[in-house]
Amino acid sequence: MYEFTTMGWLKHVIFHPVEGFEDLRWKKQGSMKVALVIVFLLFVYMVADRQLTGFQFNDAYVKVFNVVPLIVQSVVYFFTWVIANWALCTLFDGEGTLKKICVYSAYALVPFIVCGFIGVLMSNVLVQEESIWLTAINWLGIGWSVVLMIQAMRAAHQYSFGKTIVSMIFTVVAMLLILFLAILLLSLFQQVYVFGYSIYTEIAYRIRG
Amino acid sequence: MKNSLKKLLALSMAAVTAMTMSVTAFADEPYNSYNYDTWEDAIPSQSGYRVERTVTGEEMGLDRLTDPEDPLFVSETAVTTLDGAMDFFVDDERNEFWVADSENNRILRLNEDLEIIGRYYGVSGDSEINVDETTGLSNFMNPYGLYVTTSPFTGDLTLYVADYDNSRVVKAKVVSETECELIHEYTRPEEALYTSQTFNPTKIVVDQAENVYAVVQSVNTGSVQFARDGSFTGFYGANRVEVTAAVIAQRLWRTIASNEQIAGMTRNVPVEYANFDIDEDGFIYTVTEVSTSTDAVKKLNPAGYNIWDNEVGNEYTFGDLSGNVWDSTTNTLHATRLTDIVIGNNGLINILDYETGRVFQYDRNCNLICIFGTKNSTSDQRGSFSNPNAVEALGNNIYVLDGGKNDITVFTETTFGSYVHSAFEYYDEGRYSDAKADWEEVIKRDGNYTMAYIGLGRAALNDGEYSEALEYFETAYDQDNYDKAFEYTREEFLRENFTIIIVIILVLIIWFIVLKIIHKKGIYLIKKKAKEGK
Repeated sequence: MYEFTTMGWLKHVIFHPVEGFEDLRWKKQGSMKVALVIVFLLFVYMVADRQLTGFQFNDAYVKVFNVVPLIVQSVVYFFTWVIANWALCTLFDGEGTLKKICVYSAYALVPFIVCGFIGVLMSNVLVQEESIWLTAINWLGIGWSVVLMIQAMRAAHQYSFGKTIVSMIFTVVAMLLILFLAILLLSLFQQVYVFGYSIYTEIAYRIRG
Repeated sequence: MKNSLKKLLALSMAAVTAMTMSVTAFADEPYNSYNYDTWEDAIPSQSGYRVERTVTGEEMGLDRLTDPEDPLFVSETAVTTLDGAMDFFVDDERNEFWVADSENNRILRLNEDLEIIGRYYGVSGDSEINVDETTGLSNFMNPYGLYVTTSPFTGDLTLYVADYDNSRVVKAKVVSETECELIHEYTRPEEALYTSQTFNPTKIVVDQAENVYAVVQSVNTGSVQFARDGSFTGFYGANRVEVTAAVIAQRLWRTIASNEQIAGMTRNVPVEYANFDIDEDGFIYTVTEVSTSTDAVKKLNPAGYNIWDNEVGNEYTFGDLSGNVWDSTTNTLHATRLTDIVIGNNGLINILDYETGRVFQYDRNCNLICIFGTKNSTSDQRGSFSNPNAVEALGNNIYVLDGGKNDITVFTETTFGSYVHSAFEYYDEGRYSDAKADWEEVIKRDGNYTMAYIGLGRAALNDGEYSEALEYFETAYDQDNYDKAFEYTREEFLRENFTIIIVIILVLIIWFIVLKIIHKKGIYLIKKKAKEGK
């Protein structure tokens, strides 16, 4: 019955939170390309939120603009989520593959991004007294995306509702672990680098005498 | 081409040399002036005040006290310098200074040019405390604070002294340049409400009704208040306990601890305040020395209620904003210690930080105007303090009393300062457009001065120049005022373009209706692919 274009599937999934992802799985649909574009848009949204939010709502520290934290908050968090979820759920009878988790998670993020962009646009025409509308639209996006994410994970792994929730909570814990280890590794390599560099300078000084 | 490059190089070299020369030739204050921007970052600024001179005991003419010919003669051996002076006071009516020369146990009276015109070692009259047998005076012992006013009841010049070691507050009528007559003595209140064993007054303030408020050492329930007849009427304007993690933890422990354990715990008591001042309208301003986020500076109404209360949603900040700052020149960790406050006749609030020797000047709405003064390791330069104990304002000058260097430093306002002050005066009265010229002069001298942009923005907003106002507020990063200006801009935009907007909306609605109708008839303007592709 369901025959859609790639974008049509995306639309179907977003507006049918209850069975959309099951349909997607059943029909073996979902495009990795679209998913990557969505993740990129998530990053663009992060930048837009910081730079293009109306002046009266923009609390960002404008003296410095560093894009790295924004990349971390969007792209890195997303892929950590995917990997953590995959690593966890393959151990607990999850049926989702890495690709499936990635695509489904990205699809579930669309309302959050869209509402975010609408919020950025609205913040340029609203005044502070009307900020309730901004809050409303942002929470609408978050709520919708959370519902979709639960459904996405349920469909991907064929879990019961309760098990999905538990697995998602533990995914967050796993994310923290992964990030912790990554930072540990990074600082370790930094120290190795500093060690190597100081040896180099030492030797350089000796040679020059 | 090569020649022009050479010329350019030579020119720039000359410019650089000229610049360095002018820097070395310029005599400056021993500190860099700074101000805070919207993000509470310290940024360089122009000096609002510069040191005019410092006045020591010698320049005050204290050697007159040792001259037998002089009417102010005390004895051949009288000390001719200040020693550990704790406080001084400006009598606005007569333009006179009164200095509590604490360790010399005397009060000095100086004229506008800080030259001595009177000295008081004690009070005559009916007192039994510390009476000198030769002169018959009841001598002062370590007077910590004083207050001088013309009594609204009798019209006499009345001197109030917080006589620290004599455990009393003296109220005396000034008779001549060497004598004063005791009117009343306020001693430790013999009442159950007053629980402290000692009564060592440090600072004193008197209101219009001649109620006396005394800050008393180790009394943390507020200042001790006496009525005109000398009776103790209670405590006024106590600080509150600052809510820290330790306080909350102790509150939790107390609920489960036994009575014996509770008795062993330290009590959470508020910090006593260090100093206070009273303005023309009878509001009392207090400062608290210990670094605290609650109640560091308060403006109390006659009921003792703090008007500058941050816990009801205000955002008043005083002193250095960055908290504990490591200062590499003195190798010390600064913790703000606000020791004195004075409200000038022009309504400006000056707060002295003992720790850094800085005077912070605010307008009546607590906008920071400028910061001046310093404290460094040697403190031998003018404008640098050792024990800055008190600050006073007279006219456009600010005076700082140093109890370590035993002198008074006189600050006069710079051109920049005078523009800022006149701009703030207009601004605080709400005459934003009148302040415009002054703000523009301020910006010419200091383009980082945030308040100038806010002031200009307010003026533009008043004149209906909304887009200009938006620009100014954006420069100052003042979101709240920007919001107001934006609201007006939006309103104006909607009003001017009302017809166009309505027309666009109507056209869109009609367009959709037309589309619906032709879709029903099976005509598509854009061909659909997916639907037909079954």
